[in-house]
Amino acid sequence: MKELATLWLPLAVSALAVVALLVDLMLPVPPPGGARSKTPAPVVGWVVILGLAALFCVSFFHETNSGTAMHGAYRASYFATYLQRLFLMGGLLGALGGLDDVAKRTPHRQGEFWLMLLSSLAGMMILPGARDLLLIVVAFELMGIPLYIMAAYSKTDAEPTGAGVAPRGWASEAGLKMYLVGATSTAITLFGLALLTGMQGTTKLDLLAATPLSPLAALGLVFVLGGVGYKIGMVPFHMWVPDTYQGASTPFVAFLSVAPKAAGMSVLTSIFLFGLGAHKDVWLPPMAIIAFLSMGVGNLLALPQTDLRRLLGYSGIAQMGYVLVALAANDAMGLGMVLFFLTAYLFTNLGAFLVVHTAAEAGGGYTFASLSGLHRRSPGLALSLLMFLLSLAGIPFVIGFWAKLYVFLAAWRAGLIGLVISGIVLAVMGLFYYLRVLQAAYMTDEGDLPTPQPPPALQLAIGLCVLAVVGLGLWPRPLIEASTRAGVEMMAPLQAAQAQAAVKLTQR
Amino acid sequence: MNSHLLSIIVAAPAIAALIVMFISERDGANSRLAIRLVSLVGAAISFAGSLVAIRTYDKALGGLQRVEDYPLIPSFGVHVKLALDGWGGPLLVLTGVILFAGVLASWTVKTRDREFFALLLVLTAGVFGVFVSQDLLVFFLFYEIAVLPMYVLIGIWGSSHKVPARGPFKFVWNIFDIGGKQYAAMKLTLMLLVGSAAIMAAIFVLFLKAGGTTFDMGVLANTKYDRQTQIIVFPLVWLGFGTLAGVFPFHTWSPDGHASAPTAVSMLHAGVLMKLGAFGVMRVGMVILPEGARYWVPVVGAVAAINVLYGAFCAMNQTDLKYIIAYSSVSHMGVVMLGAATLTTTGWNGAVFQMVAHGIMTGLFFALVGLVYERAHTRAILKMGGFANVMPGVAAFFTLGCLSSLGLPGTAGFVSEFMVFLAAWKSQHYFWAIPGVLGAFITAIYVLRATRSIFWGPGPSHDFHDLSDAKKTEWGAIVILGSCLVILGFWPRLILDYIDPGSVEYLGKVLAPVSALARLP
Repeated sequence: MKELATLWLPLAVSALAVVALLVDLMLPVPPPGGARSKTPAPVVGWVVILGLAALFCVSFFHETNSGTAMHGAYRASYFATYLQRLFLMGGLLGALGGLDDVAKRTPHRQGEFWLMLLSSLAGMMILPGARDLLLIVVAFELMGIPLYIMAAYSKTDAEPTGAGVAPRGWASEAGLKMYLVGATSTAITLFGLALLTGMQGTTKLDLLAATPLSPLAALGLVFVLGGVGYKIGMVPFHMWVPDTYQGASTPFVAFLSVAPKAAGMSVLTSIFLFGLGAHKDVWLPPMAIIAFLSMGVGNLLALPQTDLRRLLGYSGIAQMGYVLVALAANDAMGLGMVLFFLTAYLFTNLGAFLVVHTAAEAGGGYTFASLSGLHRRSPGLALSLLMFLLSLAGIPFVIGFWAKLYVFLAAWRAGLIGLVISGIVLAVMGLFYYLRVLQAAYMTDEGDLPTPQPPPALQLAIGLCVLAVVGLGLWPRPLIEASTRAGVEMMAPLQAAQAQAAVKLTQR
Repeated sequence: MNSHLLSIIVAAPAIAALIVMFISERDGANSRLAIRLVSLVGAAISFAGSLVAIRTYDKALGGLQRVEDYPLIPSFGVHVKLALDGWGGPLLVLTGVILFAGVLASWTVKTRDREFFALLLVLTAGVFGVFVSQDLLVFFLFYEIAVLPMYVLIGIWGSSHKVPARGPFKFVWNIFDIGGKQYAAMKLTLMLLVGSAAIMAAIFVLFLKAGGTTFDMGVLANTKYDRQTQIIVFPLVWLGFGTLAGVFPFHTWSPDGHASAPTAVSMLHAGVLMKLGAFGVMRVGMVILPEGARYWVPVVGAVAAINVLYGAFCAMNQTDLKYIIAYSSVSHMGVVMLGAATLTTTGWNGAVFQMVAHGIMTGLFFALVGLVYERAHTRAILKMGGFANVMPGVAAFFTLGCLSSLGLPGTAGFVSEFMVFLAAWKSQHYFWAIPGVLGAFITAIYVLRATRSIFWGPGPSHDFHDLSDAKKTEWGAIVILGSCLVILGFWPRLILDYIDPGSVEYLGKVLAPVSALARLP
């Protein structure tokens, strides 16, 4: 019973999935033929949204920050709680943003979509607390496989509107590409983990570092880095990102671009920091190279993009590079800032995708032209986009500034000065393409596109994102303190142990 | 009220901007007036506040006064710490004057005026913030807030113009649309942000080497950084902030940016924003890194001397009125940096005084240029002539600005240039004074030539015979700025008395270890 109490949050999400399924079963089935043209109300979607919102609120009144379950494979902590809240928020915002899109594109099979979303979310909820490689793999796949299905969910749809009418079947391509690369990366991860556990003799994170790392295990480590890195879209495993973002339905992409990335980061954190933090000198060089490449390739390839989804996709690759920089710091502040950055990124990127989606729905497709005259057609939407872009670019008084600042500060403090300098330079270069989007929204006014009219749920999602981006930008203190607390909680004992080991080594 | 005066000064424009954003544009003329009045009230509150602040600053006591401290992220040592020092007072007043005049001067903005005024006010809130913040990170934050709205302001309300393609790199003109407002805006933003990146790296070093617990500039200034660090970090700060101050060769954004910017934005940018750069170099670079400053000062001074001369020569070669003023700003900012590089009280007083004097003068210039351009729709000085016959008021004030620019005694420009050149002559590098004075001489050539060809001579050609003189609110802007120039020219003590204790105190920090060495046998 105590174990269940420890696991209550992941279990609650799974329960919500069951509830959603039951509600969907009870909905009347439309008769074949004429009545199909009528769009059914998104009942299941609202159940999911209200359920996630309730869970998010309850998680503040009932925190489970200690205790283990499943024979030590799962351990609750404030770190896990923090990330679980982040996932819940991501799921909530994603559901709000996608509510009407799902109802519009696939009116008669909405239920499954939400079931997939909740399954994926359930996988994410387990990940941050998982202390055993087996559990990590299982939860990671639970998170990943529904995402392939969701990417291809609107497979029969053409692009909604737009000048450049896209061919049918983009969603299938998006899903297939994601699935093939994903399956390969899973195989690679498993192979790497097999090498790792085989050589280290355990699947438990806490015991992983006890024995010195053999060369074969180190090789396995690189495989793991690559396999997990696929999910967060880091270079050189990023090829699926722009294509999938372009093909899948955009509100889903908004969710895909933030929550699974945060989950992937949590896995990297678990394996590399909690498990193998003592063997930093083995994994730091590849990690640093990948961080540098992600920042570089993401920022540089975003420059020539003409499709806003691809542009945001590449920008997301670059953003993950910044997170890796903080992760590579391998200390309490670094971990805290990883969490802080992921939170900032969640609101910012989700919001940006939703605004771009709204503008594209009104006409013009996902091109720069779709933003033309947005400041006149919809000042609020343009202002929201401005805030998100500023935040992505890391400009003061929105949350992205603090995120970037502290990520770089943490890495600098840990001595990764070269990485930080290249990151700062690349970030300034990245500003160029954010400014181009801004330019399209604020400084061009060609053609006569209609005023975008986002449905209320979408408006609410964008509003929440703006509120978080600006509010937490002006008053970042609570968030920074919470993320630092999580970082210190996990890293302080590890660092103490590592220091002790170092002392022993010198004494010998 | 009194204890929160500085926060009120900083917040008033920001709050006004917020209110402006929520004024409905549907009422036509009424809402247009409301937008302007709210902006003007916001500007007036800050202006009045800065006057009160400087009046109540205790000159005899010196140091930081009116300290306000609000913890922002205490766990990482970030506090919004505002305080007034000797330099802050005059610069606050300068910003207040320019903002007030700028709002008046942009009364006639037609397109998207709501956003224009909101951005203008946000920008100024950032400027006010920089001059009073005593926390390095908050200083940087305000600095960015002041810099970034420029992109939108130039990109939307700016003006494009043809720049003839010349030289071996002609093809570049076609690729980048040189002379276009978007080009100018992007160039300005990217160059300044590269500077910001350098500053950010410098801030990391300063913060972490001081123990990583506080960003308080007072504490950082008392931290002894080792020589190696100082020598590496100082150039980052110098070039980072120096980009905004137009330090050669990183000044190239300035002519394009100023020429493309709308009137009020040029006024604020050349008048106040460029001062932020110089202020940052002195306040952050020299005061916190004294050894680095002493090591690099020969280079800083030499580059500043190049600035003075090079800017003046470039201005001589221009036929576009805005480019002339923009290059003259580059030249005059060189005087500020030259004064700073002398590391003497006179030089620093002159530098800060020049910030104020040049701010007001350039503000006046750009206000007048905007006025002329709005009526004549051209900025090519060769096309104009004899405008004094149709716009005598504008002509008179433009001439006044020119006289201050070339440093005529009795105008504010004289005081500062005299002090800086004197200090340069007396400093270790006396030869700096030579290019400086030469630059002032060339300034006389190009400003007088410009005035003559625009305003004097035979009456305007038939294209321009129906131009009108300044009107209503425009007079307000011109008269305020023009009278400040004369008043400061005749009575420099009005602000020098505040600048001096600041300079003495900060210079004491920069030179302290030297005098300690000198006392050794």
